[in-house]
Amino acid sequence: MTRRSDRTTIYLLLLPSLLPVLVLSVFPLLRGIYLGFTDARAGRNVEANFTGLDNYKELLTDDLFWNSFKIGLLWAFGVTVLQFVLALGLALLLNQQLRFRGVARVLAVVPWAMPPVVVGILWKLVYHPDAGLLNEFFYRIGADGLRANWLGDFSTALPAVIIVGVWAGMPQTTVVLLAGLQGVARELHEAAAVDGASTWHRFRHVTLPALMPVIVAITSLDFIWNFNSFGLVYVLTAGGPGGKTMLPMLFAYEEAFRYGNYGYAAALGNVMVVIIVALLAVYLRRRLREAN
Amino acid sequence: MIPRRFRRLAAAAAVAVVGLGALAACGDGGESEATAGPVKLRFLSLAWQKESLQANKDLVAKWNSEHPDIQVEYVQGDWNSVHDQLLTSFEGGDAPDIVHYEASAIGEFSKQGYLADLSGLIPADLKGQIDQGVWDTATFDGKVTGVPFLLESQVVIANKKLLDAAGVTVPAADGGWTWDEFQANAQKLTKPGQFGVAWALKSPTNRVLNLALNYDGKFFYTDGGKTEVKIGDAEKEVPKRIHDMIYTAKTASPEALGMSGADTLPGFFGGKYAMLPGSVSLRQQMVEQAPAGFEWVTLPPVKGLSSKQAANPQTLSISEDSKHKEQAAQFLAYFLNPTNMAALAKGDWLVPTGKQANEELVKLTKGEQGWDVAADSAADLTVAPFQMADGYPEWKTKYATPALQQYFANKITLDQLASQLVDGGKQVLR
Amino acid sequence: MLGKPSRTGRVLQYLALAGYLIFLGFPLVWLLSTAFKPPRELVQLHPSLIPSSPTLQNFVQAFTEQELGRAAWNSLQVSLASAVLTVLVAMPASYALARFKSKLGTVALGWVLLSQLFPFVLLIIPIFLVLRQAGLANSHAGLVLIYVVWALPFALWMLQGFVRNIPRELEEAASVDGAGRLQVLRRVVFPLLAPGLVATALFSFISAWNEFFFALVLIKTPELQTLPVALARFVGIEGTARLGPLAAGSLLATLPSLIFFAFMQRRLSSGSLAGAVKG
Repeated sequence: MTRRSDRTTIYLLLLPSLLPVLVLSVFPLLRGIYLGFTDARAGRNVEANFTGLDNYKELLTDDLFWNSFKIGLLWAFGVTVLQFVLALGLALLLNQQLRFRGVARVLAVVPWAMPPVVVGILWKLVYHPDAGLLNEFFYRIGADGLRANWLGDFSTALPAVIIVGVWAGMPQTTVVLLAGLQGVARELHEAAAVDGASTWHRFRHVTLPALMPVIVAITSLDFIWNFNSFGLVYVLTAGGPGGKTMLPMLFAYEEAFRYGNYGYAAALGNVMVVIIVALLAVYLRRRLREAN
Repeated sequence: MIPRRFRRLAAAAAVAVVGLGALAACGDGGESEATAGPVKLRFLSLAWQKESLQANKDLVAKWNSEHPDIQVEYVQGDWNSVHDQLLTSFEGGDAPDIVHYEASAIGEFSKQGYLADLSGLIPADLKGQIDQGVWDTATFDGKVTGVPFLLESQVVIANKKLLDAAGVTVPAADGGWTWDEFQANAQKLTKPGQFGVAWALKSPTNRVLNLALNYDGKFFYTDGGKTEVKIGDAEKEVPKRIHDMIYTAKTASPEALGMSGADTLPGFFGGKYAMLPGSVSLRQQMVEQAPAGFEWVTLPPVKGLSSKQAANPQTLSISEDSKHKEQAAQFLAYFLNPTNMAALAKGDWLVPTGKQANEELVKLTKGEQGWDVAADSAADLTVAPFQMADGYPEWKTKYATPALQQYFANKITLDQLASQLVDGGKQVLR
Repeated sequence: MLGKPSRTGRVLQYLALAGYLIFLGFPLVWLLSTAFKPPRELVQLHPSLIPSSPTLQNFVQAFTEQELGRAAWNSLQVSLASAVLTVLVAMPASYALARFKSKLGTVALGWVLLSQLFPFVLLIIPIFLVLRQAGLANSHAGLVLIYVVWALPFALWMLQGFVRNIPRELEEAASVDGAGRLQVLRRVVFPLLAPGLVATALFSFISAWNEFFFALVLIKTPELQTLPVALARFVGIEGTARLGPLAAGSLLATLPSLIFFAFMQRRLSSGSLAGAVKG
């Protein structure tokens, strides 16, 4: 009997959120996945034909795409890991009884609160070779040798945009981890403190395990978001110099919106989804098993 | 606490979620327009500078007051998102009636069938005002799908005091330097802490292909219906000269490579760069942002075998799906009459395509602030083969831009550049 | 949380915090400085922090040209509605996802991730078509709907993580005391979930407040346009921008989210937790 009432409760609880998701994401998503098996193109009254795996055959030999896929993984891993490590540190700090904690918390979400349109322009001015804030800083402290053409140089372009990515996504991760820290029951800590455990020991064996579900959730979402985001990089480098920052989602975007190859772009999307899902599945399975 | 409108909004959203499926079934959800009353036209404009925004709004307001039966709604878009916005609204069947964009970008939309053929809609006098070579930039598969109205020629803006100090004289408005003279003068203007030139090459492909016409560099050759990319000496000339200036003569700053035109301004105003090859529209920044006492001068386009450049004019188009094409064309004819076109060009610091508009503009400005040079450069602008090539956008982004960036960063040789460009052409122009 | 650190530890903590805040907060200073600079001071080889002849012209221009006030009011309504709806809808669902093992739940969570993973650009046109067919194009309700759907993945994933963190024993204890399931939810789960709900509401509010593309393509009537769309009009061709008015407008656009967070962040403090459990 409890089984059945449980199921009804589940449906009732899930319904309000599933309904809009169903209407607004299932249809577009299924259509998008299907497009990947067609030769759909942009155009007025253009018919799309089912082409089976043709797109995927072409895709296998598309070196430009695979090259950009590698850059995409580097970008997504780089940003997500740095974001997580830095955000965890900041969240732990902001959870302390420090003075000006409220102000500090508000300042920490500035990157998130700024309109995206101005963020790209801001970072271009930070990295500007002649009048950029970063080079100006080096000039003022007398370290002229460290000045560089950050976004224009082949070796610094990707690290430079990764830093922007970390900056832009840190507040979200910090706030979530900060919220998660509140759930780490105080009693557990006190118990551990009585046992004479060191700070590190308590962090490692009490805080971290309790925080794990939240960490798993935010890091996987961050990874997905980072892999998917290209707007900022597009504004900063448009994929240059020499393709060094051509992210795969930017690649797919141009394929769809610039050249009008919806079918091929959707195929790229399908392949990326499969690979990322596989990566995430490994990660999630391991983490969730650890957590349980 | 919660405002009433907000509550209504929330309720609407909630109801919508439930009713969405049902509503989706019943077709065009009540968007049919009333047939009576004035014709309404939506005009998506990309004007963004203060003066040109005002000029646009004034013209629309004047039209609306004179034409109660054809009302134009002015909608301001922006250059960075207009492509995505247009594609979405075209595909969604919800496009504006009149669209402001540029010749190089409307080609794709034309071929996709979203823009109306204007050949039969434009009055003869407007047609006669504009050079055929310029009309050709907006003609695709025999259909004219945009009225070109603002031209952006490549000139050279120079720091007058530095020219004087180096003993370089300013040429007359109709007598530009040759590339050799330009490079020699760049040499005179180079000294420690100062470069003769800053080539802003963030988007190198358009820049190089535009200027390559100086030496007849066509890049795209069509023979018997088949187009291919060929790189000969004509195509190599301009990239080679720019490369020489950066790495051999060292008269051009390597730091400017990743910059867009406006990015070079701090260095230019700060005396780090003596000359900026760039768009005529840079003059606006000179007027608005140059520090007090800074003297600048507009030099005519540089000459190779000719001073021809590829024209990529801004255009006004009419949507194929617009219900009121004729009224829209009437508005265009008014909007682009010589006086109005001159006002629009002045607001954007660009060159009008209309001959009479150009003359009026020179009279209006007395040829000052580089308007004489700008007006004279109009004759150099014409269509280039790459503008007509299918697949040019893809070739540009996937192959040409990365290859040119590598070449200008001195990572590959001129021959490697050539073969990458040709190979890219083979991939795209299948 | 990590116990009482030594004095050097404290100093190090403050230094680290300062480093973080400079990294994350410096743009606010830059916006402030730029917003008050006249055009000629915006292109200097060595930019100064403090405008040498400060002006209010940028604010005047920003407001007279683009009706930022109206756009901000539109954005505020849409963002608040999105935040409230997201929380209301996601709370029960995340509880169900975390507490009951069911196939439906697993599928739902997977789907939610998938929807975030697929290239967004390919979803835009179908979504646009659905909303247009439903008569929701060119309305705030349509925007709210799309924003809620877009915030839900985050909300569900986060909140179910938070629910998992609430010890089941607490709920069981309350049940034993004779409280019904709903009462348990209201008296035990909801208060403990508060920090997660704050994070969710904040996320939903800010994403809606800053969202650009759907606002651009869905809203045709200028009177209904939102703030990011209005601000984008100060950006021009090839990376040029009218930096002064843009900075002025952006500064004012940044403040509501910060204020919203300033009010909410107290709820993220551990102090409130102990009381909440009993209350």
